[in-house]
Amino acid sequence: MSKLIIAYFYPSYLNLYGDTGNVEILRERARRRGIDVEVVYIDPTVSLSSEAVKYFSIVFMGGGPDSGQKLMYEDLYKNKGPYLREYVEKGGISLFICGSYQLMGHYYKSADGTILNGLGIFDLYTEHFGNHKPRCIGNVTCEISEELRHDPVFNSVNKVGRTLVGFENHGGRTYLGNSLLPLGKIITGYGNNAEDASEGVLYKNSIGSYLHGPLLAKNPHLADYLIAKGLGMDSLPELDDTLIISAHTAAGNLKQ
Amino acid sequence: MWLISTLIAKKINKVIKLLGRGSGFTFPGHVVLKIFPNILSSVRYPRGIILVSGTNGKTTTTKLITHLLESFGLGVVHNSTGANLLNGLVSTVLMGTNLMGKPLGNVAVLEVDEFALPLALKHLSPTALLLLNLSRDQLDRYGETDIILDKWKETVPGLSDTTILVCDSEQKEFHDIAEIFSGRTFYFDSDPTFLEKTKLHGTYNAKNVNAAVLTLTLLGYAQSGIEQGLEEFSVAYGRGEVITRENVDFQIFLAKNPASFNQNLDVLSSGKVAGKSILFVLNDNIPDGRDVSWIYDISPDKIKDACEGKEIYVSGTRALDMAVRLSYAGVNTRTENISENLSSSISRLYSDSRDASVTILPNYSAMLETREILIGRKIL
Repeated sequence: MSKLIIAYFYPSYLNLYGDTGNVEILRERARRRGIDVEVVYIDPTVSLSSEAVKYFSIVFMGGGPDSGQKLMYEDLYKNKGPYLREYVEKGGISLFICGSYQLMGHYYKSADGTILNGLGIFDLYTEHFGNHKPRCIGNVTCEISEELRHDPVFNSVNKVGRTLVGFENHGGRTYLGNSLLPLGKIITGYGNNAEDASEGVLYKNSIGSYLHGPLLAKNPHLADYLIAKGLGMDSLPELDDTLIISAHTAAGNLKQ
Repeated sequence: MWLISTLIAKKINKVIKLLGRGSGFTFPGHVVLKIFPNILSSVRYPRGIILVSGTNGKTTTTKLITHLLESFGLGVVHNSTGANLLNGLVSTVLMGTNLMGKPLGNVAVLEVDEFALPLALKHLSPTALLLLNLSRDQLDRYGETDIILDKWKETVPGLSDTTILVCDSEQKEFHDIAEIFSGRTFYFDSDPTFLEKTKLHGTYNAKNVNAAVLTLTLLGYAQSGIEQGLEEFSVAYGRGEVITRENVDFQIFLAKNPASFNQNLDVLSSGKVAGKSILFVLNDNIPDGRDVSWIYDISPDKIKDACEGKEIYVSGTRALDMAVRLSYAGVNTRTENISENLSSSISRLYSDSRDASVTILPNYSAMLETREILIGRKIL
C-alpha cells in the first residue's frame, strides 16, 4: 500500500469548530489499517509547486475566524490558489469546510456589500444578508447525493447508510451554479442557503461542506471514501465502527 | 426605587426557593431590570467593585478574592452561584442590599460573562477589572472570540482612568486593550509561588491565584494577610471540588471548552489526582452550547496520557460523541460504561469504585447535574 499524504492547509489560521479533527480522523482510520500516513502542514511560509501537489493524497482546509482568514487570504489568493486549482481540476481529492468552502467559490459578498473574491474553483457564490436573514446554526442531517452514493468506491466503503450528520454555523449563504451537484439534500437543517435544501458541493473529486462535528467524526463512510480515493484503491479493509454508527444514528434524531 | 426593587428581588427569590430547589438568582434581576433598567448605575460600595471576566477561571478567581477580602474582615457581595449575566448581577446586588438601598457589604466581587461585560461596564464603574483570558467557548451562542474582543475594545476607552486593569501577560490581545485604556494596566503570569500555598493545581490556577493576589496588593491589602488567606482557601464548586459519598471520593473538574479540558487533563496526568476511574460527561444543553465539535480541539495526546491505566466511563446527552472522540484519541470505553443517563452512570461508577477515588470531567450543565445527583440538591 502506498503512503497517504494529507496536506492540511493553514492549520493555525483556519482552526475553528474542531475541524482539525477531520485530519486526526483520516490519519487514525488509515493508521488502524496499517497505512503509512504523513500530514503536511501548509502555511504561508511553505511554497508549493506543480510537482509538490502531485504527491498529495488528500487536501484539507477548514474554516477560521475573520482575523485568521485575513492573515491567510493573500497567500491563498496569490501563492497557493493556482496550485490548488490545478490539483482540483486534475481530479485531486480534497475537502473544504465552511470558510474555506466559501473561498473556493467566485466571491463572498458581506452584509455591507463588500465583495471578497474567492478562487472560483467551484462555480458558486456566497452572500451574507446581515440581519435580514438569521445565521444558520444547528444540527444537520442530509441525504448524500445519488452520484456519490453510487460511486463504486463510496459504495464499497459505505457501512453507514445514505445520510451525513453534523452541525452547521454560518452567516453566509451559498448558491451553487447550475452545473454543480450538492454533496447532499437537507433532511434537517439549513444547508447551503436555507432555500433549495442543498448542502455542500461535489466537484470532480473535491467536496465542500458547511458541516462541522467535525464532518468526518460520525461519517466514517465519507472519511473512508476520501482515504480510498486518496490512495487510488477500490476498497479498504473494514474497521469496527459499531460505536460510530450508533453515534451517527443517534445524531439523526437530534433536534435542529 | 431601591425599596421596590429590593422587595421584588427578595420576594421572587423566596418564592423560587420555596417552589423548587434552585437558588433563584437570575429571575429577580430580570424582573427588576424591566422596571428599573438603570438600577445598577446607582450602586456604590465603600471599598469599591471588583469585576472579573474571561473565558475560564472566573468562578475560582472571584471565590478566592472574596475569601481573601473576608479574611481581612470585609463584608463581600459576591455572585457565588455564577449568575454572571446582567440579570444575575442585579439579583446579586439587590440581595446584598437593605431596603433603604444601603449595601450590606463593603465591597462587591462580581464575575461577569465575557459577552455581558460591555453591558455591565455601562452600569458599573469598577475599582479593578480583571481580564483572565479569552479562548473558544460556546461559539454557536457567542460567535467567534474576535467578536468578543472587538466589543471589549469598544468599551475599554469609556472606562474611568482610576480603574485598575489586571490582565494575563501571555494573552497578546490584552496588550492591545491596555494600549487603548487611559488608566494603568498591570499584568500577572503563571509563577507558581502563590499557587503552592493553596490547595489548587495547574498552570491555569497559578494564573487565577496571581490575578487575585496582584489585585489585592494593588488595592493596598497586606501581603502577609493575603498569604495566610491563600492557605485557608477551599476550591469552588465543581472546580477540583471533592464530594464524598459513602466511601467514594468524587473529584469534579469542570471541563467546558478546549482550554479548560486540556488544563484539567494536564492536572490528571500530573499524578496529583488520586482517581482510578474517569467519568467524562458531555451535555449539549443551551448553557453548554449545542455544538459539541469543540471536543476535537482537545489534544488527543493529553486524552491518551490522562486516561492511561484508568477505567473510563462516558455519560451525558452526547455520551456517544464523547466516546467516539476518545476512541479516535486511542482510548476505548467498554460499551457497558457508556450511558446517556447520568444517574445510572454515577451509580455504576459508584458500585465499581468501593473505597476509591474517582475523577469526573463534566461540561457546564453536566457539572451542575453531577453535583445535584451526588449532593441531592441543586446549586443553581
